[in-house]
Formats: sequence, C-alpha cells, structure tokens
Amino acid sequence: MSDALSTTFAALADPTRRAILARLSLGESSVSDLAQPFAMSAPAITKHLKVLQRAGLISQGRQAQWRPCKLEAQPLREAADWVSQYRQHWEDRLDRLEDYLEILQANPSDTPKEKP
Amino acid sequence: MTATTHAPFTISRLLKAPRQLVWDVYSKPEHLMHWFGPKGSTMPHCELDFRTGGTFHYSMKTGEGMELWGMWLLRELVEPEKIVLVQHFSDPQGGVTRNPWAPTWPLYTLSTTTLTEQDGGTLMTLVWAPYEATEEESALFAASHDSMTQGWSGNIDVLEDYLSLLQS
Repeated sequence: MSDALSTTFAALADPTRRAILARLSLGESSVSDLAQPFAMSAPAITKHLKVLQRAGLISQGRQAQWRPCKLEAQPLREAADWVSQYRQHWEDRLDRLEDYLEILQANPSDTPKEKP
Repeated sequence: MTATTHAPFTISRLLKAPRQLVWDVYSKPEHLMHWFGPKGSTMPHCELDFRTGGTFHYSMKTGEGMELWGMWLLRELVEPEKIVLVQHFSDPQGGVTRNPWAPTWPLYTLSTTTLTEQDGGTLMTLVWAPYEATEEESALFAASHDSMTQGWSGNIDVLEDYLSLLQS
C-alpha cells in the first residue's frame, strides 16, 4: 500500500467527508450547495474540502465563476480494492483453518500432510 | 495520543470442530504452520512459546517468494476459550517494524479471539483493534473496515453507477 493510499484512507475516515463524496457522486456541485445539508460554518466545510482535495478525491474547476467541485474516482477505486482485500485476507485464513480442521478430523491419528 | 473511538474490526466463523481441537491448532506450532499463512505460503520460521507472557515469532513466505516476519506477544490465555495478543510486523531478530504496505498502519494491534461452543461446533470470533496507536494510525485502521459497516460500501455502489454512466 502506497502512502497515497494512506492519505486517501485518512480522508475517508470522517463521516462529513464521506457524505460530501456521496453528494458529489451524483454530480458536480458548488461549495455553497455542498455546505447546505451540514450544520457547519463555511470555513469548516472548506477545511474538509481541502483534505479531500489533497487526497486527490475531488478537484475544483477553475473556469466557471462558481468553481464547481468534482469527484475524482481513481483514488476511491484503489481504496475500495484495498478494503476488500483486507477482509478477504481474514476470510481466506479462516477458510484454510476450516479445511485443516476437516483433514485433522478425517485422520485424527495421522500427522497431517501439508496442503498447499 | 490513543484513539479509542473507532470500532474494532470483527469477524467470526462457525467451525465444524470441537473447541479443544480449535484451541490446539492455534496453540501448537506443528498445527499453526498448516493454516496460518495465506494459501500457497510456507512458514520457514515458527518459534512459539505459548503461555501468558510468551511470544510467537514467525516468518511467512508467500507463493511469490516474498518473506514476511511477524510477532505475537501473548497477553492473556484462557484455555480453551480466549486468546488475547498484541501483534506487530517484525524482522528476523524479532524487532518491531512497520507494515511494509502501509507506513501509517498501527505499529501494534491487539487481537482477541474467543472460542464458544455452539451447535456442536465452535464459534470463533476475532476482534481486532489498534493498540497504543496515534490518531492517524487509528484512522487508517478504522477506515479500512468502518467503511464496510457504515454504509460506505453503499457509497461505492453509487460511485460505480456513476462511473459506468460516465463511460457510456
């Protein structure tokens, strides 16, 4: 896992920021529209947006006057892939334990053969 | 700073085996080396002193030939029902090292495994949490699984839909 991914996860570890991303997954939005559902000051929202921006999760347009925020999907993809690997690692280990217990109980007297 | 507000990672499985046998395969090196690593991996080093205060120093060689060292510090053992241990990545000398894939992963994690007799088998439950971690380390640990339990996976679905819409 790269350091960039650590930054992504740190950015995702906050419910407000996840809510902002969920909103942006529906389409571009201005900062004031994004701030609306939250009982938060504009500077507080801006701070969250900066964290998301640094993690590469969102970008802000430069042309339009209202500088819309836009979701950048790639880092989120990488994070999602890593998350599924993480649980998978434990599921795999438990699968292997289950198989091994089955072998042991089928031949309780034998020293079990390594099952690759 | 220690952060304790994040929910731990939990996983459980109902195993078709008597509880004592599950305990044995967890506590004896000759058993551990048969199931502990990922499929296709081997365990070239396996040094287990299974008692409260004891350690387990191991190396795992993956199918791709990568070798990883790890250490358990056994904190509480209640045969045949409970194993509490602190875990860290390690080097061949037993020193503490960082997660090779995630530099901001907690240096130490605490895992509590409980074995309960259920339906003629054994319910194994693992609770895994950061141990003496910084806020940044705890946040990374939490984000790795919280996301799955707090509806983040739903957000990912929305994202997938959005991506396919963009690409159509």
